[in-house]
Amino acid sequence: MVDGLGKAESGAQLLARLEGRSSLKSLEPSLFAEDGYPIHGDIVEFHGPEGTGKTEMLYHLIVRCILPKAGGGLEVGLLFIDTDSHFDMLRLVTVLEHRLSQSSEELIKQCLGRFFLVTCSSSAQLLLTLHSLENMFCSHPSLCLLIIDSMSAFYWIDRANGGENLSLQEANLRRCAQCLGKLVREYHLALFATTQTIMQKSSNSAESSGKHPGEAHVDYRPYLCKSWQQLITHRVFFSKQCHPGSAKGFSITSCHIHNNSVVKRPFSISECGVQF
Amino acid sequence: MILRVGLCIGLTTEMVQLLKDNGIRTVLDLVSSDLETIARKCSLSYKALVAIRRVLLAQFSSFPVNGADLYEELKSSTAILSTGSKSLDKLLDAGLYTGEVTELTGAPGSGKTQVCLHIAANISESLKQRVLYIDSTGGFTATRLLQLLQRRTENEEEQVEALQRIQVVRVFDAYKVLDVLHEFRSTVAQEVVSASAPVKMVVVDSVSAVIYPLLGSRQPDGMAFMMHVARELKTLAKELGVAVVVTNHVTRDASCGQVKPALGRSWSFVPSTRVLLENNKESCGETSNRRIASLTKSPRQPVGIQVELDFESWEPAEDAC
Repeated sequence: MVDGLGKAESGAQLLARLEGRSSLKSLEPSLFAEDGYPIHGDIVEFHGPEGTGKTEMLYHLIVRCILPKAGGGLEVGLLFIDTDSHFDMLRLVTVLEHRLSQSSEELIKQCLGRFFLVTCSSSAQLLLTLHSLENMFCSHPSLCLLIIDSMSAFYWIDRANGGENLSLQEANLRRCAQCLGKLVREYHLALFATTQTIMQKSSNSAESSGKHPGEAHVDYRPYLCKSWQQLITHRVFFSKQCHPGSAKGFSITSCHIHNNSVVKRPFSISECGVQF
Repeated sequence: MILRVGLCIGLTTEMVQLLKDNGIRTVLDLVSSDLETIARKCSLSYKALVAIRRVLLAQFSSFPVNGADLYEELKSSTAILSTGSKSLDKLLDAGLYTGEVTELTGAPGSGKTQVCLHIAANISESLKQRVLYIDSTGGFTATRLLQLLQRRTENEEEQVEALQRIQVVRVFDAYKVLDVLHEFRSTVAQEVVSASAPVKMVVVDSVSAVIYPLLGSRQPDGMAFMMHVARELKTLAKELGVAVVVTNHVTRDASCGQVKPALGRSWSFVPSTRVLLENNKESCGETSNRRIASLTKSPRQPVGIQVELDFESWEPAEDAC
């Protein structure tokens, strides 16, 4: 069992844990402010209002992962946690079909075989599922990426359940964040998670704007618990261009949390998915 | 989930008491703590604790599904329900998708209820599928529905059959709406071999009318309730394979003056597809039966497409694009 991890671990388990994970550096370099990311252990947050392309960007990443090496993909497995009942399999298949040079039903199924989906309907179930995933990552060394869409799905329900006590309100999410941190660290994964802009930026945002460049000009107000905020190594803000009709309708602002480098890139979404 | 006897095999009364004395009250407490420390503190067998944790995890966590299997399943279960209007179908990429929540937004009098009635009539009459219609504003009128059906078929028997396939529930607060949705989901789940065809579309007209009163004063509670309703609608759509249609009001953005859907940012993430209905500006006479429908959110189509809807014929006279 994995509970004794660190104390009693078979050689095979250690190998599965450390050696098996392929590099993700060529996943999508345009998402990052600097070259060479994501590395194992990176936790990337996608943040933005509705309709700014977060989920669409996730489909893009999924397809990059599950495409065979011969087709320009990474040919690695990944696990997608859907907390919003928002995941659209048919859309994923559409994007996948457009990226395959010759798409046959057989090939599509082969690619989709590298993809696992879990749905969670409460923060308690999310926490239990995260704990149970340890086994999954242990037995599937090909799984390199974990995606959560979205981390903020249970925010209001948890807040109301916790009553007046802030620490109770955040209890489940805090434990989820701890568990995620451990999973990502021990199994050398990369994590991409979305958070939705559900709060308006507070009017006196002066204190926050100085700390992280790039956050100053976007509508950003962190509202999830501290333990989650501290895990993040890269934050990507999504926005939609105000004037419709331009070729590239969307843009990302990517911030490297530790060295404060920022980059802004436009992208477009078409039938065949995201294009930078 | 409180830890109690009978929750899982091997969990005895003494164990529950010992764990409780050491601050482990819930399943979540047990699962997220270090079992070795607990074993020592409660002087319980480490092996037994590991076994219990494993059973609890298996019992309450959700399981990963392989993408290839899911795709196979979806290919056979997903249906696209035609709305009966060529132009609206074009806007929605062939029609309403089962498993999704579609939102119709618009100012009062922009035709949200009319669109719901037209779609309900088409699905029950042409597609011979059942519809659950939750009316929260009193806007549903049986005579109008009959009128729409009479225009489609002259056969009275067919009209009656079509009317029978539409089940109307009148509720005027959000709690009742949630009750109705819960009940609907559990009855469908219980019917192993359903006697009649399953319901393929659920309409909630209007969702904002019942949720609006909850928002405001005690913010987190109202918001939480709204998210419960949202979650129920989405689960219903996914699990039972129905197309959910909700209607919502619009408000004006204070800063830029643009029309946006009501119920705020948290709700804006709920529907996968959103259609904005507006009065046709050129023919602004009150008797006009024409509306402009524009796509403002979609997982498949580029947003911003517009079509003209004609409420009299429901088939567009010409393509206005």
